[in-house]
Amino acid sequence: MIDLLQAELKRTWIQFIRYPTEVISGIVIIMAVFYGLFASAQYMAGPGFAFGDRLDAVVLGYAMWTLIISVNNDIAINLQIEAETGTLEQVFLSPYGAPRVFLARAFASLALRLVILMVVLLLLMGISGSRLAFPPMLLLPLVSLLLAGYGLAFLMGAVALVFKRVQQILGIFQFLLLFLLAAPLEEATGLMQYLRFLIPMLPSTGLLRDLMARGLGLDWFTYGLALLNGMVYFALGLLVFRWAEATAKQRGSLSGY
Amino acid sequence: MALGSTHQHPATPLPLLPSVAKNFKISKHPTYRWELNPFVQLAHRPTDDWTEHSSPGSIVLDTRDLSKVYGRGKQRFEAVKQVSLTLRQGEVLAFLGPNGAGKTTTIKMIAGLVRPTQGQVTVAGEDPHRQPRALRHIGAVLEGNRNLYWRLTPEENLEYFGVLRQVPRKVAHRRGLELLARFGLEEKRSTPVQKLSRGMQQKVAIAIALIHNPKLLLLDEPTLGLDVEAGEMVKALVRQIAQEGRAILLTTHQLDVAEELSDRVAIIRRGQIIAEQSTEALLKEFSSSTYHLEVEGELSPQQIHTVTQLGATVQGAQITYAGTPENLYGLLGALSPVPLVAVQRDRADLTQVFLKLVKDHPDANS
Repeated sequence: MIDLLQAELKRTWIQFIRYPTEVISGIVIIMAVFYGLFASAQYMAGPGFAFGDRLDAVVLGYAMWTLIISVNNDIAINLQIEAETGTLEQVFLSPYGAPRVFLARAFASLALRLVILMVVLLLLMGISGSRLAFPPMLLLPLVSLLLAGYGLAFLMGAVALVFKRVQQILGIFQFLLLFLLAAPLEEATGLMQYLRFLIPMLPSTGLLRDLMARGLGLDWFTYGLALLNGMVYFALGLLVFRWAEATAKQRGSLSGY
Repeated sequence: MALGSTHQHPATPLPLLPSVAKNFKISKHPTYRWELNPFVQLAHRPTDDWTEHSSPGSIVLDTRDLSKVYGRGKQRFEAVKQVSLTLRQGEVLAFLGPNGAGKTTTIKMIAGLVRPTQGQVTVAGEDPHRQPRALRHIGAVLEGNRNLYWRLTPEENLEYFGVLRQVPRKVAHRRGLELLARFGLEEKRSTPVQKLSRGMQQKVAIAIALIHNPKLLLLDEPTLGLDVEAGEMVKALVRQIAQEGRAILLTTHQLDVAEELSDRVAIIRRGQIIAEQSTEALLKEFSSSTYHLEVEGELSPQQIHTVTQLGATVQGAQITYAGTPENLYGLLGALSPVPLVAVQRDRADLTQVFLKLVKDHPDANS
């Protein structure tokens, strides 16, 4: 499995850097958006969600928004691209099984995005003289958030495997994501304060807001529930993906697009 | 293009010591030739011992009553009906059929990419639909697919797909370089695949299908869209690969390619196998017993009379004879002492056989 992860990291990296003009233009766009944020132009972040008015919180909010969107779309879009280019069936010939391969791919692509994001942020801190500070405790709800995010990514991948054309659904899904990331249901009263733990990612984003915007510490019981939420959605995503793989094989439509 | 009459199944026991025999293979066409196969040697190094090896001539692929039904009710369509195939180590089976006959569906059921409605697939004793491990025995180049990452170089593609097939990364890298050297692609190892010619891309795709040392190679239209030179190159590679002892299932619309490469032929029509036997036997069955003889100079009136009496027709120096093989010698005696230029038996080619079988089959017009 380590070999597979390394191979996916290498493949993702090579495909990214093979054509330098693409890399440079991509980085310039990201830098422009983040420079806008550094220059207090919050509208640059579009419909993103923020964890407060401080620069750290605005930058983190936007970074999280782009990261989650890319994580969610990653598997579905890759499946569609590979079906179109004709490599998908070779991937399904792997004895590792498709879920493991796509999981390794998702991690590789996340690692690449994190590296780009960090390089851009470091460059901008150097240019603008601003400093960003994040409490290391943030990593914990980030992990549970990403777990649930990957669960949803596998669900979208399953949709792509069975229904093929997914651009429209992915577009609509972004609005749902906005709700999942931005709705402050941790402040809700009544039944919703309990039901929110059943909705994907919501408990984790609530904790991130606690840490960044409200200056609260990490509530370990809530974190336990957030982690459980992440694990359940991750497992559900994998299960549905397996079902979708079996359905596509049953229909003989694996390579169709 | 017909196979020579000396054609023999490559799995025939060889008169060699076992330790020597496994590093030597017989070349099938046009005559037998002993040769040291460096690839086989490398595959037997202890460091490469990450796949098991079958005993010579053992069954690699076994499908039993494979069927595939798509849709329900009025939309119900039976794409493949009870296809049973067996393929042994070192054997090349040409799987032929018109468009939409069920070839690709069958190949994909064998590769575990399409689930059969009924029936069973076993590759080296394992079922690819139940045991993902079985996929370690299968290499495939699928038609209509690129099979490669175009932004990656051949070297990078080989290493990546090797790991994807559970070959340790370092072994995959080393084997990738060996395959590139063997396929004459060393110079192109660092060129992105999209900049290679179609023929080179196909060679890389075949190399990738071999990176994990599979026992079964599935080749769906491997020469499609290639120019003559590239097509010849791919044919030569297929021969070499079969000589290593791998079983090859090949589909193609180029029947001369199938005739040249295959030990056996299976013809599928509307999802059903309508013929399956050795290529040589099939060609023999469909060849007529008509002989064409050519002599140097003119026959005497007496000779023409005798020859005609034996059932032959004479047109100048050309004689056509459709009698029994025994009487042929009487005919030859009657021609003496006129020098013979040629004696040739009418021989069907696979194209004729294929067309006849596909058109004449009982349900051809149904």
